[in-house]
Amino acid sequence: MKTYDAIVVGSGMTGGWAAKELTEHGLETLVLEAGPMVTPSDYVEHVPPWEKPFRGLGDRKKQLERQPIQKECYACDEWSGKFFVDDIDNPYTQAEGKPFLWLRGRHVAGRSIMWGRQVYRWSDLDFEGNLRDGISIDWPIRYKDIEPWYDHVEEFIGISGEKLGLPQLPDGKFLKPMDLNCGEQMMREVVAKHWGGQRVLTIGRCAVLTENHNGRAACHYCGYCERGCITLSYFNSINATLPAAQKTGKMTLRPDSVVHSLIYDKKKNRVTGVRVIDGTTMHALEFHARVVFLCASALESARLLLNSATPDQPTGLANSSGEVGHNIMDHIMGGGASGRIDAPADRNTVGRRPNGIYMPRFRNLAGGPKSKFLRGYGFQGGAGRDGWWRGTDLPGFGAAWKKQLEQPGDWHMGFSGFGECLPNHDNYLEIDHTRKDKWGIPVIKISVSYSDNERQLMEDSSIAAAEMLAAAGARDISVGTDFSPPGKAIHEMGTCRMGRDAKTSVLNSNNQSWEIPNLFITDGACMTSSACQNPSITYMALTARAANFAVDAMKRNEL
Amino acid sequence: MKRRSLVVAAAGAVAALPLLPPDIQAFTRAVRARMGSGLRTLDPHQHATVARAADLIIPATDTPPASAGNVADFIDTVLSGWYADDDRAAFLTGLTDLDTQARTAFGKDFVDGTPAEQTSLLQGLDDETARWYRSPAKTRGPEPFFHRLKWLTVYGYYSSEAGLVKDQRFEMIPGKYVPCAPADSSATGDF
Repeated sequence: MKTYDAIVVGSGMTGGWAAKELTEHGLETLVLEAGPMVTPSDYVEHVPPWEKPFRGLGDRKKQLERQPIQKECYACDEWSGKFFVDDIDNPYTQAEGKPFLWLRGRHVAGRSIMWGRQVYRWSDLDFEGNLRDGISIDWPIRYKDIEPWYDHVEEFIGISGEKLGLPQLPDGKFLKPMDLNCGEQMMREVVAKHWGGQRVLTIGRCAVLTENHNGRAACHYCGYCERGCITLSYFNSINATLPAAQKTGKMTLRPDSVVHSLIYDKKKNRVTGVRVIDGTTMHALEFHARVVFLCASALESARLLLNSATPDQPTGLANSSGEVGHNIMDHIMGGGASGRIDAPADRNTVGRRPNGIYMPRFRNLAGGPKSKFLRGYGFQGGAGRDGWWRGTDLPGFGAAWKKQLEQPGDWHMGFSGFGECLPNHDNYLEIDHTRKDKWGIPVIKISVSYSDNERQLMEDSSIAAAEMLAAAGARDISVGTDFSPPGKAIHEMGTCRMGRDAKTSVLNSNNQSWEIPNLFITDGACMTSSACQNPSITYMALTARAANFAVDAMKRNEL
Repeated sequence: MKRRSLVVAAAGAVAALPLLPPDIQAFTRAVRARMGSGLRTLDPHQHATVARAADLIIPATDTPPASAGNVADFIDTVLSGWYADDDRAAFLTGLTDLDTQARTAFGKDFVDGTPAEQTSLLQGLDDETARWYRSPAKTRGPEPFFHRLKWLTVYGYYSSEAGLVKDQRFEMIPGKYVPCAPADSSATGDF
């Protein structure tokens, strides 16, 4: 049987990057994707609501039956619902009293199709956080280790954004930023006047092109990125990384390949391949390679290691630390505030900008005042005017009432907090041997809850947002008090953390298993802390870095 | 983001309705059995009632009326495939009540009234709905029929080509983002 140079499990955000980097260095690479093929012909962003059976309300009954969990994601709608898993075929269990939303897609490109496209670098404020606060374990890397890989990834995918020169949010290789609208510009001035030097309101840094870039076209502002993009204007695997890997002639992409477990050779102390259940025939297959990259998502990669337990390694593969599956983090949401603002009534926006505002973390910065909680949060949000939908509750009907709805309504401004979640060994997943998925593979049981620190920083975000709106003279300010359950931010991470020793961590500073040298895990599983920034760009940079390390190590015959 | 909260509001309103007898499925089948119109829930009279009320809410002006957006057909689709059984029953009961109120007010079914008679009846229902909407959510009681009819009419019209493109000047591919355009000349339509 053929032995590939590399197997990459997963074709999403990180799998695409592993495939690109490994094949561009000449490695014969097999990319295994659990779900079906997706190509740009599956994109539906320009299908208007009147062509959908429920005009965009979604097929409610079918969702309740097949996607009762996935429907909690805003993007799982009548267009993009097909990019989310069927909850009946893909079950998991939740610990009593600890709800966890596992929102995901299983298809070529994975969640990179429906992601939020926000891109923020980490700084040493984040990488040094655990060490400084004396909690959990220290990251084995610092900003200087990842900086060139942020550059590498950003230059390829194209990020639009504004340079700010802030130490806590390093600038990147930006294309020209998108514009703040009138309401946001007004808010930015208010923030600068009252909180200058502390808080900054900027346009979101996002993986949507504002200029043509690497053969992909600039955004046409239809606004529905989560449904795909025929002009390839936002980054996802099938728009960018997988085609690059394909171009090398070294990639074999195999959809409908559900990886069951890893094959481990005890004598050589190497993984030699993977066991696969063919997604359509249900046949058991094996594939072999010299090196294996797990890019299956934070929870799936941990599930794979735990499902690869042997009599010799009863707690799972690469798990002598006992940390596999533990330290699950997400970002807490639900804090923030919104209100009616007095932005110019004679102004409105044209086009649907697929991006909002960002306010970088301003709590517990180096040398600044200390809050009662650790770490901090960032704000996302934006301003806009009410449209026709206010007609549902606008008193009246008839011609004059209809005429009112032809004009835009009030300006609103909203801030939504995204809070850092602390690593905690007691937030974990395990294999639930009582239940199997459609392919006969034991599912995971997730046990995660937020602590007082997360709740406190979210409460603070609501107060901070409300005070900014009040300073802008906003009316009808409503404050966020309903905080999200873990998983809702879809930033789950931490199940196979990187660290400085094999006793307390699963991966070394190169995303390499401490125990099995030819096993790499580069998805969100590797994260040692969560920061408060959207994590995808960091996963991608770490993947590119690890792939290049693996290529060099293979050349030296070290794997 | 706003439209999404509207969708969430729709789902929330569903939960607030009182439970109705479980024989509604049999009732719906009976209704469907006597129709040959392509409608799945509304009978021709109910369809005409909904269509007339929707065109009073959103009449023809210099832009098309609700009927140009097939609002009554959309409402039939929602009743048949989206609403839970009790929500569908509540809506159909509301339609029956509308005729009862019409006969009390002007001695005819709603569709057979003059435009003035119909408008006057709906005005009363809209006032009642506005009072309900202003009341505290916890104590205001079940959603009035007219609120639901208006909600469905607004959503159905502005999600149609007639409403979204002709009235709201929606462009599927704007091709640009103008952050501070003059409000009167800008495309206001969003979805």
